[in-house]
Amino acid sequence: MTTDLPREYALRDPAERVSPRARWMWLTGSLPWWLVLVAGAVVGVTLTDVPWWPVVPLALLAAAYVVVMPLWRYRVHRWEVTRTAVYTQTGWWVRERRIAPMSRIQTVDWSQGVWSRVYGLATVTVTTASAAGALTIVGLEKDRAQALAEQLTQQAQATPGDAT
Amino acid sequence: MSEQEPGWQRLDPRMMLVNPITDFAKFVPTVIPLLIAGTVAGAQGWQFAALALPAVWGLLRYLTTTYRVSADRVELRRGLLNRRVLTVPLDRVRTVDLTASLVRRLLGLSTVKIGTGTASTDDDQQLDLDSLPTERARELRRVLLEGRETPVAPGAGTEPAGPSAGPPAVVRFRPAWLLYAPFTAGGLAIAGAVVGTASQFVEQVHIDTSAAGLPGHGTWVAVVAVGLVGFLLVVLLLSVVAYAAAYWGLTLTHSPGSPWHLRRGLLTTQETSIDEERMAGVVVGEPLLLRCVRGARLSAIVTGLRSGSVLVPPAPAEESRRAATAVLGDRGAVDGPLRPHGPRARTRRYTRALWPAGLLTVAALVAARVTDLGWLAWPVPLVLVGAALLAGDRARALGHARVGRLLVARSGSLARRRSVLDTGHLIGWTLQDSWWQRRAGLVTAVATTAGGGQKVTVPDVPSGDAVALAYATTPELVAQFLADPR
Repeated sequence: MTTDLPREYALRDPAERVSPRARWMWLTGSLPWWLVLVAGAVVGVTLTDVPWWPVVPLALLAAAYVVVMPLWRYRVHRWEVTRTAVYTQTGWWVRERRIAPMSRIQTVDWSQGVWSRVYGLATVTVTTASAAGALTIVGLEKDRAQALAEQLTQQAQATPGDAT
Repeated sequence: MSEQEPGWQRLDPRMMLVNPITDFAKFVPTVIPLLIAGTVAGAQGWQFAALALPAVWGLLRYLTTTYRVSADRVELRRGLLNRRVLTVPLDRVRTVDLTASLVRRLLGLSTVKIGTGTASTDDDQQLDLDSLPTERARELRRVLLEGRETPVAPGAGTEPAGPSAGPPAVVRFRPAWLLYAPFTAGGLAIAGAVVGTASQFVEQVHIDTSAAGLPGHGTWVAVVAVGLVGFLLVVLLLSVVAYAAAYWGLTLTHSPGSPWHLRRGLLTTQETSIDEERMAGVVVGEPLLLRCVRGARLSAIVTGLRSGSVLVPPAPAEESRRAATAVLGDRGAVDGPLRPHGPRARTRRYTRALWPAGLLTVAALVAARVTDLGWLAWPVPLVLVGAALLAGDRARALGHARVGRLLVARSGSLARRRSVLDTGHLIGWTLQDSWWQRRAGLVTAVATTAGGGQKVTVPDVPSGDAVALAYATTPELVAQFLADPR
């Protein structure tokens, strides 16, 4: 039973942060959708006789999201690789911390989306045998991501794995 | 046809009798046009040769399919023009299933499905041997699952021919279980369908009775009532028949050191074998409806298999508990006390249930006021009461524990489940919290694994408890990320 353990157990944040440029990547990634939404609303209001005032809170919401989300997300996004495990922290409103042992790593994946290419960033994804357990580190500098993927592959290979 | 290499074996020739029958539907689009075209073109009986197509196809399949089991692998070779050899290392074999449809059973044949846990759903990537004589199939299964370490396992050479032979049954089907059939998820869907149909009936009655010259209200109500009862009976019967077809004669057997064997089915029999080492845990399912009649179901979390494997169908809860205890070797994990998640988790269950119900209530009240649909307001108290009851039940379900090597988590109301996972099969941890959860000091802990639903979720645990649980189950993994003690 867990009753005999002290209650104040807590996890610390992972040690490393992602690139500060990731903030701009998240901003430019989300901006177009909101622009389309607000523009659509403006067009809709001018063409019909629906009251115009709901456009104001929508535009405010869009501005708040586009500014707040990347800053918040940058504060949350952290990662750490030790000799025996990978530890990531992602999200913003919903925060997610994932820990996977090196011995259970199955694949290491390096990828770049459209916006991450613009900012010279890349994503490293680590999968385990569980479909529910992939770890993703978004917004690393491209070279650093490549080095990390290489390091993880070698470390995973050096750690004796399980049959699963 | 190349000469047969040593070790390559053919399937049973009697499959040529089975396949044309089962495959006939596949050939209808080819055979029928050929027959018609032949007749129209004036072929003198030649067109009936088309009827032989399925048989020829079956013969070709028999001649071109061979398999081989060597010390470290199983190989399946097939195809006439496109030759293809599927190879599976023996240590990747997770399960071996024997299925016998009615026709195959009459001929004494079984299909062997070798489960490797591959993510591929491509038919060509599945290792199915269709079909072998049942005795040979069982022998093959023994070799695949046990032959690696012990070439001649004592007592495993002959499979239990009847209930008297072999290891004692952990679970044995009883006809009385059929009473639980209507209380399954299928039964619930059926009940929903009945209600839906009933409401349609009622609507039609309203329309019809308003028209002139039709029988009075009383007659229609009687007709509808009789129809409904009849429909309900048919539906109940169907659920019982489906249950019997799937689970009749179910026996779960196991002796230490050998795989778990599950045999079930009325017409089509199915024999599943699960390697002991791959048994990662169990899930005791107690959906609301089944719980009302003190029933439960049990499935296994099998490493490498994406879906849960049935161990005990809906039946008296004690059957599931006994089987779970046998699998886990610990009764405490099955019905022992759990650590509750506390008042904040309880509050959160209520807020989450009552917010949508409250919004719905307001919407219904507004609608009732501004439109002439006054009756919309009637079911409103029911919705609120229902939501509150559901929240209470969900709150009571929450709990977790660590019992020896086992992690236990329970949650849910409509689909309550108590999951038990052997920590040796625990792959990693995910701790998830929304802003609301952080404010309440709660976190949803998820233990990931490579079998069943791929994870065991512990919802809304006080965050200290969650980290303590993760630390207790996987100390060497979590210790390095612990914050300094406050």
